[in-house]
Amino acid sequence: MKIFENKFYLTWLKNPWSYVTGAVLLSIFQIVILAATGSPWGVVGPLNFWGAWLFELVGGNPARWYFFGEARLPILEAGFLAHAGTMKNLGLIFGALLATLIAFEFKFKKIKAKRQIVAAILGGLFMGYGARLAAGCNIGALYSSISSLSLSGWVFAAFLFLGAIVGSKLLVKFFM
Amino acid sequence: MSETISEQTEITESKIPRRSSSRTTARKPKKSRVPLALALAIVIIALVAFGLYLATVDPRLSLFWLIGLCFGFILQRARFCFTASLRDPTLTGGTSLTKAVLIAFAITSVGFVAIQYNAYRMGLPIPGAGYILPISLATVIGGFLFGIGMVIGGGCGSGTLMRVGEGFHMNMLVLVFFIIGLLVGSYDHTWWQLNVIQGAPRVHLPDVFGWFGAITIQLIVIGALYILADRWESRRKSL
Amino acid sequence: MPKEVVVDALGEACPVPLIKTQKAMKTLEIGDVLILKIDHSCAMKNVPEWARKVGHNVELEEIGDCEWEVIIEKVVA
Repeated sequence: MKIFENKFYLTWLKNPWSYVTGAVLLSIFQIVILAATGSPWGVVGPLNFWGAWLFELVGGNPARWYFFGEARLPILEAGFLAHAGTMKNLGLIFGALLATLIAFEFKFKKIKAKRQIVAAILGGLFMGYGARLAAGCNIGALYSSISSLSLSGWVFAAFLFLGAIVGSKLLVKFFM
Repeated sequence: MSETISEQTEITESKIPRRSSSRTTARKPKKSRVPLALALAIVIIALVAFGLYLATVDPRLSLFWLIGLCFGFILQRARFCFTASLRDPTLTGGTSLTKAVLIAFAITSVGFVAIQYNAYRMGLPIPGAGYILPISLATVIGGFLFGIGMVIGGGCGSGTLMRVGEGFHMNMLVLVFFIIGLLVGSYDHTWWQLNVIQGAPRVHLPDVFGWFGAITIQLIVIGALYILADRWESRRKSL
Repeated sequence: MPKEVVVDALGEACPVPLIKTQKAMKTLEIGDVLILKIDHSCAMKNVPEWARKVGHNVELEEIGDCEWEVIIEKVVA
């Protein structure tokens, strides 16, 4: 088909954009959502509620925890489908799916080795616990925080960098 | 790392034409495109339908859904990866993503400070004040743990979600344990809040340096880091 | 006589394909060719980018849905 050789299809939808293009577009969207919603981009907050809702499904009662008291309780009780942040995170997943499908590059990529399972479990737990301590991930506690002129973002960045060095050593030694 | 080279073949001359092109060469039509085209059509219809459904429940939800789709699309198209921006300088010597992330910080800071200043001038609460986070030992330990986790888990918060959408089973597993980690963290939150986080300072740079001073210093720091990143890469190029 | 080396990094996530490439390139002589097989969407960008920055000749070939071969000819030591 002709469309797959089309110049605009190739530059816009097939070949990767430059990192700087990504940086500029992400910045525009960050500024737009701060202006439109009064809050910048965050990823961890909604994930935290996903965990609580799943925990409730298996019989847990996170609503009694201090963390889910006061401000977070109404969100917890309103549920999955009423949570705006959840829709943003779901959108992120499906936006990436859409981008790979349009480029005709989608396939399910299976786990290749046991070491990848161990890496995934440890990586996930470290990130989850760390993100809760720092009240955010590379988006909320880093990108959005630094851009909001908060000193916490720079402190987080410094220790992220140190953690990444240690993580790289572990990766090369055990997970490669 | 014992099995780096899994297969070696001797041939008489190099096959590759002597040019340095960056574009994907047209692929040989081995497989039919029909299944993916069908999947694409179904996904587009489903995404639009879900957005329309959300709009009937609450327009705010559909707005956030749309914003999320845009973020996911941009991240994937640009292969934008915050993990790599922090990992690659010391691991592979590359800093192109580090520099791109710094550019994003600079542009977004300028936009944010304008929005914040405008609210401040009109006596309104500062937008995004919730992201001016307390600085405590929890920030330090949290950052360090997150740094380790994102490198071995192959992606941070946004990177993991993006790769779940791309169909990586490993990142789906990471997401499950990310959520479990968060849940355990929220359970422990009481202790951290009472013993570490409570009373920790939240520093908004304009309170220290004034609005003009804060954004100026921020941009100078970002600029200096950019130059450092650029020199770092040139120094390591001959790796 | 130039040789051709195949490195299989299918199923590996970033940064493993790039590290494998960097290690393998060190063992090659000028004129040798490395063929890297990958199916990680980020590696199809960062491996060619690295090799081009160093100064090698690079070709990226899409061989299937989300599968690529990066063909690198060693040009500089």
